[in-house]
Amino acid sequence: MEIARNSDAIPLHRERARSKGPRWYSSPQAAGYIFLLPWGIGFLCLSLGPILWSLYLSFTDFDLLTAPEWIGTANYVRMFTADTKFMTSVKVTFVYVLFSVPLKLAFALVVAMVLNRGIRGLPLYRALFYLPSLLGASVAIAILWRQLFAGNGLVNQFLAQFGIQGPSWISNPNYSLWTLIILAVWQFGSPMIVFLAGLRQIPADVYEAAQIDGAGPWRQFARITVPLLTPVIFFNAVIQTIDAFKTFTPAFIISNGSGGPVNSLLFYTLYLYQEAFGYFRMGYASALAWVLLIIIALFTAFAFLTSRYWVHYDE
Amino acid sequence: MSSTVELRNITKSYGELQVVHGIDLEIEPGEFVVFVGPSGSGKSTLLRMVAGLEKITSGDLMIDGEKVNHVAPYERGIAMVFQSYALYPHMSVYKNLAFGLETARMSKDEIRRRVQEAAEILQIQQLLARKPRQLSGGQRQRVAIGRAIVREPKLFLFDEPLSNLDAELRVQMRVEISKLHKRLGNTTIYVTHDQVEAMTMADKIVVLNNGRIEQIGSPLDLYNAPSNRFVAGFIGSPKMNFLSVGQSSDGAKVGDVLMPWLVFETLPTTFGIRPEHLSIVAGTDSTSLGTAAVDLVESLGGQTVVYVTLPDGQPLTILLEGQPRISDRVEVFFDVEKAHYFDPAGRRTLPK
Amino acid sequence: MMNSATLSDATTRSRIVSIVVHVLLISASVVMIYPLLWMLSASFRPENEIFTSASLLPSSFSLDSYIEGWSDLPVSFGRFFSNSFLIAILCVGGNVVSCSLAAFAFSRLEFRGRRTLFALMLITLMLPYHVTLIPQYVLFRGLGWVDTFLPLVVPKFLAVDAFFIFLMVQFFRGIPKELDEAAMMDGCSPWRIYCRVIMPLSMPVLATASIFTFIWTWDDFLGPLIYLNDMEQYTAMLGLRTFVDSTGVSNFGGLFAMSVLSLVPIFGFFLLFQRLLIEGIATTGMKR
Repeated sequence: MEIARNSDAIPLHRERARSKGPRWYSSPQAAGYIFLLPWGIGFLCLSLGPILWSLYLSFTDFDLLTAPEWIGTANYVRMFTADTKFMTSVKVTFVYVLFSVPLKLAFALVVAMVLNRGIRGLPLYRALFYLPSLLGASVAIAILWRQLFAGNGLVNQFLAQFGIQGPSWISNPNYSLWTLIILAVWQFGSPMIVFLAGLRQIPADVYEAAQIDGAGPWRQFARITVPLLTPVIFFNAVIQTIDAFKTFTPAFIISNGSGGPVNSLLFYTLYLYQEAFGYFRMGYASALAWVLLIIIALFTAFAFLTSRYWVHYDE
Repeated sequence: MSSTVELRNITKSYGELQVVHGIDLEIEPGEFVVFVGPSGSGKSTLLRMVAGLEKITSGDLMIDGEKVNHVAPYERGIAMVFQSYALYPHMSVYKNLAFGLETARMSKDEIRRRVQEAAEILQIQQLLARKPRQLSGGQRQRVAIGRAIVREPKLFLFDEPLSNLDAELRVQMRVEISKLHKRLGNTTIYVTHDQVEAMTMADKIVVLNNGRIEQIGSPLDLYNAPSNRFVAGFIGSPKMNFLSVGQSSDGAKVGDVLMPWLVFETLPTTFGIRPEHLSIVAGTDSTSLGTAAVDLVESLGGQTVVYVTLPDGQPLTILLEGQPRISDRVEVFFDVEKAHYFDPAGRRTLPK
Repeated sequence: MMNSATLSDATTRSRIVSIVVHVLLISASVVMIYPLLWMLSASFRPENEIFTSASLLPSSFSLDSYIEGWSDLPVSFGRFFSNSFLIAILCVGGNVVSCSLAAFAFSRLEFRGRRTLFALMLITLMLPYHVTLIPQYVLFRGLGWVDTFLPLVVPKFLAVDAFFIFLMVQFFRGIPKELDEAAMMDGCSPWRIYCRVIMPLSMPVLATASIFTFIWTWDDFLGPLIYLNDMEQYTAMLGLRTFVDSTGVSNFGGLFAMSVLSLVPIFGFFLLFQRLLIEGIATTGMKR
């Protein structure tokens, strides 16, 4: 490469700059950062930033029209002392999670075990059980469900065959939450597939060795299958629980946005939505969001810490 | 206490495909029998049928005089060591060994006694609290063997247990298994594709090929008198040399060398001689095969392998002791007593 | 002793068990799928028959519900579907590009802080969206993006869906590093390795990511609910919600018809790509 020379000597740093060598942006270190740039921007502006900002907002009174006004812990105090709706929403959400997740996982595990025995037509059954899982998040399904469990819905038509007069399940505060729990359990196909994959990973010769050791099917299930499945059970339990906490669409559609009847479907996310976008109490809603975050974080931490006692890890 | 095992015309088919054809075999109590053969020879399938892990399509399997075709594996008094060890990954070594005994509702004391005894025999006492993932390959193999020992079975089954170990460990474990057999004396069926394992460990070798028995005999019987070309080529390393036998007006010819003493009922097409029975120096009883061109010399230190080509183009492998000087051309000698002959169908024949 | 547990008894027993199992599985499948079939058949029935007739097959086949439902609202469902479609396609593009870039960095490149950043990414996986919902809304409002598709689409170009980064990282780990090394010997820059080596070999995971992104975006309700106020911009989900809200008890036929239509794309993906989807889910559960 020709370096143009004047009568003056070119200063050394300029000479170095023009000589061949790796540029900072083509060094391997830099490549990593460049590739991560979109994620980095996203992480800062859409994840980290908002989380911190939301923490700040939770200590303010903010209605979007005027600037946030610092009110200290007033939101949190109100939440835990004066807000009955908050308590209801926590109760509703917890009942939902406590029932829907174990039931869903139980169905998923049982069906996966049945399918894993080597059933003819496995791909068909697997697909049929998975379909509801795939469709389930849609508003269309929530609408369908609302109709299924309505006074004149399919469920009551079916019960009428046996002479049972069913109520309007979705309008009855004692039963409405159960229609949603059933909707959740209906979608067991997704964790079922994860269980199937986990079952497949257990080497066949371990079962053969157990057979030779005299273990019958029950003992094999209890002492070999279940212990070796614990990582998958753990994974599924954590994922499904976090997902269950995030439920919004069915609650909204079936209760028509109200959370009724009598707040029996007032899921935490729905309540948060009402506060934020119904009443524009953004500060309070941020506090609600943070309390949920802490609840989920505590749950996850608890799950991980206790996992070492019952989950068998491979390496 | 050891079992007698008898296989009577055992076959195995998967649908239309028959993979094991009519196996007849008798195994004496305390015998160490090795099923050896290439992949796909049916040796593992046969073992698994004896274990009860595969259904027997036809034929009878007798253990101690009773027909056990439909008896569950556990009821046959067997223990098995798997190629991949098949240890229970989530249980400690102690629990792995104890599992079968716990299933049999044995007392805790008895279980402890047996586990400790097995651990001592196999030198794994210090590993009892560990999990399989914390063990090396050789240690895992010992635990797998231990699991078989504690059951005090009448019949031991090994399914290629050393295949997953590195060469050095394999030699070590081979010796240990043989010593174990000397000590415990149970009837053992051992499956391998490695003829060295077969030769060194077996009381009796069953050579299998394509689901059929090629030959049954003691290691030396198979070495000295292979009944067909397959066995001759399978047993012994380096492989036996096979040369074609031609007919000329003066008599039989091997390569370019006349061998008029070779008189057979039907002319064999193959002449076999083991590399270790060839020499490059004339001896008292040796016959010359001609002068060959040396292609390659491999010096192993204690032995030397020489690859040559005979004047008629057929290749030959020679195994010599020590580190002799090899020139470009060598004269090859063999001892007539050590030669093998095979007829066109591959069966062993003897000259008149 | 020898015959206490004979294998032939076991064979007969296992045959009976097998039949029972099949019966149970078939009944379970029917129960699971029945609601969907019911809605499908209801959409083809005349209105008065929907809640009276018990059988699955309509007595007379009618497309009225579809025709009416399509244009029942002030804005036609055609508009709603095309909005959904546009947003979904853009999101697919965004996710595929941004997530694969990040996944490539995490799995194939060496740089300081990689472990920490990867851990941070994993933590966002478990983050509930509630905490970021409000600040993001305030942010987008400040940017003037409310009432546009931007808040729904732009984040996808910034790799917000950590799940897909995770999925792709797992997949990339299965591509032998030797390929990268060979390319490097040939003088390829990381960008070229990304474009010419990794991406072409990643079709399966990219397909999986695309399909799931499409489905989740198509089904997204809360996002459009918050950001889209102009009915012209409504997605199919919002359209359905409006339908339910406004019609009360009158036009179930139309409602079901449009619901069925909104499920068609997802069902289509299911039919064509089930293997891929099922494998995608299975692998996330397995490798840790």
